[in-house]
Amino acid sequence: MTVTPGWYMALAAVLFVIGAAGVLLRRNALVMFMSVELMLNAVNLTFVAAGRQLNLLDGQVSVLFVMVVAAAEVVVGLAIIVTVFRRRATASVDELAELKG
Amino acid sequence: MTNMDFLAIGPEVAVTAAAVLLLMVEVGGKPPKWVWGWIAGLGVAAALGLSIAQWVLGRGADANTYFSDMLVLDGFAAFGGIVVFTLTALGLAASWRLVASLQRRGAEFVALVLIAAAGMHLMAASAHLIMLFVALEVMSISFYVLVGITRNRADADEAALKYFLLGAFASAVFLYGIALVFAGTGHLSLYGEEDFLGATVILRPGVLLAGIAMLIVGLGFKVSAAPFHVWAPDVYQGAPSGITGFLAAGAKVGGFAALARVLTVSFDAYSDDWAPAVAVLAVASVVIGTLLAITQEDIKRMLAYSSVAHAGFILLALTAGDAGVEAVWFYVATYAIQVVAAFAVVAAVTGAAGGRSPLDAYTGLGRRSPILAGSLGLMMLAMAGIPLTTGFIGKIGVFRAAIDAGYLWAVITALVATVAGLYFYLRVIVRMYMDAPEEAAPAIPVPAGVGWTLALTSAATVALGIAPWPLLNMLRDAIPL
Repeated sequence: MTVTPGWYMALAAVLFVIGAAGVLLRRNALVMFMSVELMLNAVNLTFVAAGRQLNLLDGQVSVLFVMVVAAAEVVVGLAIIVTVFRRRATASVDELAELKG
Repeated sequence: MTNMDFLAIGPEVAVTAAAVLLLMVEVGGKPPKWVWGWIAGLGVAAALGLSIAQWVLGRGADANTYFSDMLVLDGFAAFGGIVVFTLTALGLAASWRLVASLQRRGAEFVALVLIAAAGMHLMAASAHLIMLFVALEVMSISFYVLVGITRNRADADEAALKYFLLGAFASAVFLYGIALVFAGTGHLSLYGEEDFLGATVILRPGVLLAGIAMLIVGLGFKVSAAPFHVWAPDVYQGAPSGITGFLAAGAKVGGFAALARVLTVSFDAYSDDWAPAVAVLAVASVVIGTLLAITQEDIKRMLAYSSVAHAGFILLALTAGDAGVEAVWFYVATYAIQVVAAFAVVAAVTGAAGGRSPLDAYTGLGRRSPILAGSLGLMMLAMAGIPLTTGFIGKIGVFRAAIDAGYLWAVITALVATVAGLYFYLRVIVRMYMDAPEEAAPAIPVPAGVGWTLALTSAATVALGIAPWPLLNMLRDAIPL
C-alpha cells in the first residue's frame, strides 16, 4: 500500500484535533500554547500534503509564511506568559480569575 | 513596478516607516514626547492622504490587483483605509495620557498602534488568503502587546494572556480553514478562488465547506461574534482604558472587512451554504450580547457585550452577500467611531491606564463634567439606535439587507433585542443625569486629546445621523472588485 498525500492530510486532521483538545482541556498556559503550536504544525502538514497532491508550489511556500508568523507569535506569547508567571508564580489559567462578571 | 503598485501599498509604507523612524529616534536620542506625536501624526496623515488618493484613483473601473494578485486596490480597500487611519488618529489622540504615563515605553506603544493600523488596512486590501493571514496576525500580535502594556496591574496581564491564548487558537483555526480551502480548490488567491468556483462544480465539496466554516469561525472570533465572544469582556476590562476603544474598533473594522471580502468575493458561489450559518451567528450574537450586557455593573464589560450584539447586527447584513456590503461598511464605520468615543470618555473618567470602570463612577457625571457626560450619552443613544444618530441609519441598513436576503426571522429577533438593549444604554444616561454625585466628587478635567476626539466623533455621529447621504453615496463605490 502506498502512502498517498490523503493519508498525510488525515494525520494532520488528527494532530489538529489533538492540539485543539489540548488547548481546551489543559490548564497550564505553557501547555496550552504548545497545543496551539501543534495545531499550526498540523496546518503546515496539510499545506504540504495538499501542495504535493495538487502539484502546486503554493502549499510549500505557505508553510514558510506560517512558520515565520508562528515564531513572531511565540516571542510575544512567551513574554506574556513569563510576565504572568513572575507576578503570580503560577502558569495555571484557573488561577487567573480576577476578571469576571 | 508601476506607480499604481506603490499606491496600492502606500498607506502601509507610510505608517510602517513612521513606526520604524519613531523607534530609531527613540533609541538614538531620547526625544521629548511631542516628537513621537509629530512622527506618528505625520505618518497617519500621510497614510490617510494616500488612502484618499487610492479612493480617487483606484475605485470602480480602475480597480485592480497588484503584486502578483497579493493586494487589491479597489473602492473597498480604499474606504477601509480611510476608516482605519481616521480611527488610528482618533485612537492615538484619545490615548495620549496613557502614552505619557508609560514614560519611555510610550514610543513602543505608539509604534505598535501604527503597525496594528497597517495590519488592519491590509486585511481590507488582501487579495490572497496567506496575505490575509499575515495581515490578521500583524494586527492581532500588536493587540496582544497593547493589552498588556501597563505592567503595574495584574488584571492587564491576565487580559493579555487570555487574549493571546484564545487569539492564537482562533488564528490556528483560521489557518486550518485556509489549508482546507486550498486542499479543496487548489487556489489561495481570493480572485482565483472566485473564478475557479464560478466555473467548476465540485461534486463532493466537504473539504471546501469545512474550510469556509473554519474561516468564518476564525474571523468570527476576531470580531467577537457569539459564541466566540468569551474573551471580549475580560480583555476590554483588563486593557488600559486609553487604548481599549482602538482595540475594539480596529478589530471590528479589520475583521468585517476581511469577512466581507472573503465571503462575497471568493465564496459567492456557495452563499446558499454559508449565509444561513452567518444568520445563526448573527442572531446568537445579538441575543447573547444584549442579555449579558443587561447584567453588567462595569461599563467596559457592558460595552464589550454590547460590541458582541453589534457584531451580530453587522453579520445580519452579510447574509445578503454582495448586496449587504454597503450596509456592513456604514454600520462598521459609524460603530467604530462611537466605540472609540465611548472609551475615550471611560479613559477620562477612570484613568487612561486603568482597568476597571464601575458604573458607580459615572453617578452624577452630568454635573461633574458636562462635556464627558454629553458625549457618552450621545454615544449610548447612537449605539441603542435612536433616530437622528448614525446608529439608527446603520440599523435600518442592516435590517433592510437581511430582509431582502430572506432572513425576516433574524431581523425580528434583532428588533426585539434592540428594544431590550435600550435598557442598559439608557441606564448609563440615567446614572449620569438623574442621580446626584457624591458630595466630595470633584469635577473631571477633559484632556485635550480626548476633547478633540469627542468633538469630532460627536459631530460625525450627529451630522451623519441627520444627513447620511454623503456617506451612503460614497459607499456605493466601496464595494470589492
